[in-house]
Amino acid sequence: MMGKRIQWTALDIVVVAFALIPVLWLVSLSLKTPATIADGGFIPRQWTFENYVNVFTEGGFLRPLLNSIGIAGLATVIAIVLGTFAAYAIARLDFPGRNLMLGAALLVAMFPQVSLVTPLFNIERQLGLFNTWPGLILPYVTFALPLTIYTMSTFFREIPWELEKAAKMDGASSFQAFRKVIVPLAAPGVVTAAVLAFIQSWNDFLFAISLTSSDTARTAPAAISFFTGSSQFEDPTGSVSAAAVIVTIPIVIFVLIFQRRIVSGLTAGAVKG
Amino acid sequence: MSNQQRSRTFRLVSGVVAVIGAAAVLTGCGSGTDGKVINLYNAPQENLGQIVERCNEMADGDYHIRLNTLPRDADGQREQMVRRLAAADSGMDVLGIDVTWTAELASADWILPWPDDVRAKAEEGVLEAPLTTATYEDELYAAPYNTNVQLLWYRTDLMPEPAQTWDELVATAQRLEEEQKPHHVEVTGAQYEGLVVWFNSMVAAAGGAILNKEGDAVELGQPAVEALEDMRDFARSPAANPSMSNTQEDQARLAMENGSSFAQINWPFVYASMVANRPDIAENFAWAPYPGIDGPGNAPLGGANFAVSAFSEHPEESFEAALCLRDDESQLMAAVNDGLPPTIESVYADERMADPYPMRDAILEALETAVPRPVTPVYQNVSTVTSALLSPPADIDPIEAERKLASQLADALESKGVLP
Amino acid sequence: MTAKGDVKRAERRLALWLCAPAIIFMALVAAWPILYSVWLSFNRYDLRFPKDQAFVGLENYITVLTNEFWWTAFGVTVLITVVSVAIELVLGMGLAVVMHRTLVGRGLVRTVVLIPYGIVTVVAAFGWFYAWTPGTGWLASLLPAGSAPLTEQWPAIGIIILAEVWKTTPFMALLLLAGLALVPDELHRAAAMDGAGRWKRFVSITLPLMRPAIAVALLFRTLDAFRIYDNIYVLTNGAQNTGSVSIITYTNLVSGLNLGIGSTMSVLIFLTVAIIAFVFVKMLGTSTPGSEGRR
Repeated sequence: MMGKRIQWTALDIVVVAFALIPVLWLVSLSLKTPATIADGGFIPRQWTFENYVNVFTEGGFLRPLLNSIGIAGLATVIAIVLGTFAAYAIARLDFPGRNLMLGAALLVAMFPQVSLVTPLFNIERQLGLFNTWPGLILPYVTFALPLTIYTMSTFFREIPWELEKAAKMDGASSFQAFRKVIVPLAAPGVVTAAVLAFIQSWNDFLFAISLTSSDTARTAPAAISFFTGSSQFEDPTGSVSAAAVIVTIPIVIFVLIFQRRIVSGLTAGAVKG
Repeated sequence: MSNQQRSRTFRLVSGVVAVIGAAAVLTGCGSGTDGKVINLYNAPQENLGQIVERCNEMADGDYHIRLNTLPRDADGQREQMVRRLAAADSGMDVLGIDVTWTAELASADWILPWPDDVRAKAEEGVLEAPLTTATYEDELYAAPYNTNVQLLWYRTDLMPEPAQTWDELVATAQRLEEEQKPHHVEVTGAQYEGLVVWFNSMVAAAGGAILNKEGDAVELGQPAVEALEDMRDFARSPAANPSMSNTQEDQARLAMENGSSFAQINWPFVYASMVANRPDIAENFAWAPYPGIDGPGNAPLGGANFAVSAFSEHPEESFEAALCLRDDESQLMAAVNDGLPPTIESVYADERMADPYPMRDAILEALETAVPRPVTPVYQNVSTVTSALLSPPADIDPIEAERKLASQLADALESKGVLP
Repeated sequence: MTAKGDVKRAERRLALWLCAPAIIFMALVAAWPILYSVWLSFNRYDLRFPKDQAFVGLENYITVLTNEFWWTAFGVTVLITVVSVAIELVLGMGLAVVMHRTLVGRGLVRTVVLIPYGIVTVVAAFGWFYAWTPGTGWLASLLPAGSAPLTEQWPAIGIIILAEVWKTTPFMALLLLAGLALVPDELHRAAAMDGAGRWKRFVSITLPLMRPAIAVALLFRTLDAFRIYDNIYVLTNGAQNTGSVSIITYTNLVSGLNLGIGSTMSVLIFLTVAIIAFVFVKMLGTSTPGSEGRR
């Protein structure tokens, strides 16, 4: 038994190292001073937080960060609302278009985003949506929808809806029954879908660089790729890695809080085949 | 608390304050500026801020130039500008454009032709070579700001008489190799614009051109094959640095400062750097005309000009601002502070130029025979396709490369070009 | 009878109303643009020649399909897709087994592997970029002096695959984990009783039962890998023949300003993805998740 434990511990360590080393490398890079940033060491020899300050002062990273939060947040909210409607219909109602709906969602999930870049670029520049928040929210919602519909409809199927009826028989009003019985049962599915949708929108790069041109709507990942050094001959390594760590923080927080939900959400679609 | 710590603490505090300040600015977007704001977009240039400040003072409230800095690499700069212009973004007024973009932006109707009165001012006293880079189909589309030519930079202790041709450079390299001395000649052989610049000058030295004068048909042919043979032979000779296919301007400069090469083909900015970093080598550091095939060659022509966006809401003020940003005084400041060669001839005669520009006569002379790159709206295709097909230079198959190039460029001219 | 019919009809109407907004969104932002890009692909539409816009039929398709750059990008994309998905399948299976069976720190392992899944791809790509940059990088410093792997085609493609594998193996593992959880322990115990070794049990019991999960995971990951963009953009931006079809499409749109050629490539990628999906579904005999209706 002891031997097995050691075996598993060793495997665990391999997995943890595999997952964390590239992230720790970025953290290390972001803490190096300009003088030591090109020393190639995995662990900083001199520590500084200057890169984090520079990102906001000289790098102007605040605006892209706010854009990212706002755009990904709004896209998530819209996708959740629309997704909840659709998922409820799919899980609870019997109607002829159900499989069509799921098929359409699947089609969108597998859609090559780059195929949309050229037409959306042209449509948005003609409609004046180019380089605006809605210009990015539209595609984000679209690509978050399949995810939310799948995740939530799987969850909703598990909800014992009879409980609602039972509560009403016990004298609760329709609203009370919904709020006290259904909402707590449905909430985990909605939260899971929201987390996954947010991560996906937060992650986008292709639309962010194609459909924006300035700080008005440029999101954090796109802004990072446009960082310039503070002078013509200085590489922006420190700023890029500091900004990279900053955009990773929300992901780490989500992962820590919602680990179980993310795992169950991601596996939900694949169980059946 | 040490001095250094104190300054770090100060920076941290000021950083936090700045973040809060930035947030305040964001919420109260654009309030409180009287007069017209002229947004200038330019490549990073360390002391451009001083020039902008001077022009703002001179404008006396008529307009206020706000400097926005573009990415460092030329492709990144172009991409950002072009994307906003395609979307008819009115947030850009004056654009600092590379000499190779004039035709493209003009043909797409994204930059304004200069009206006669301001055109006359922008052209006054300007050298001919840079002026042609700002002109397209007989209209002036930008005010020349700075020009540039590549020269041969060499060490007199290793090559007492400068080579006039590439063959002579190779011969010298062979001699130095036998003597076990530094025998590399640095050229910009990486897969980027620098390789195109080299090819363009080589074709000109062989008596040909990439495109015809009008820029609407491919020429290439035998001169191009000859140029490609010479480039390949050079890349396979002892003169070539093993890392040649990764060498851009800066790597070339550094390699020579490291003492591993006896010559380099580069822009004049290498001079100040050599003096500052390696005074010992600088003593024997000299310049000569760009090498050719049968005699002295035709130097590549570079530089940047100021154009006015077609979507600017203040075109008149933008023309005025652009004129100021490139007047004698501004050009002198750019030359002395940032090493950018002027386009106005009289500026070269200024005594303040003597110290940072001992090579100024060589620059003026080279400008007489310098070759511009092809003038065509599809220059981006010319550049990308050429550098892709010629990289790495040691593997060039001259006849095959010429054939492929000709067909790809002919396609591009009909909007059928594919970028790699 | 009629009352029941009414209820049914009302239910249908409600369902359609509930689905309508999502459908409209997806139609407006996905279906319409792709149709529009089919139209654009039949035109000469180059922003640099605004006056020369014209209908040219299939000319753009001939141009792209006879162009060596396109086929190079296509080959690179297929290569990256096949190699990285194959590696991910093996590693992902191992990872899934660890997550499923480990006796110690299961929560920790399951949490930690979500970081590569959740991290912004561009951010991770910058991490790899700096790690392999000579001088700056800890991985580059392990290489012989003077090597710059990101500036040579094959080493660069190797690094792109590495970045892709690191980022997406956890996702693959999670999809496989779901399948693993469906394999009943009793079967294993019975087989062990019959003297079947661990490897034999894995091949003869676990794998066949996981077939649907593997098929779905492969389908998802293949289509996802085929659209690879972010990693290449940061690591090489397509230099030295390392560009994918997504990279070359983007370049021709934004750098080339050629909407006709860009749209043609868009349509070709869309068709390729559709064909891959079709072949997968046919070959693996898997029905797509959810398509068999309510369970």
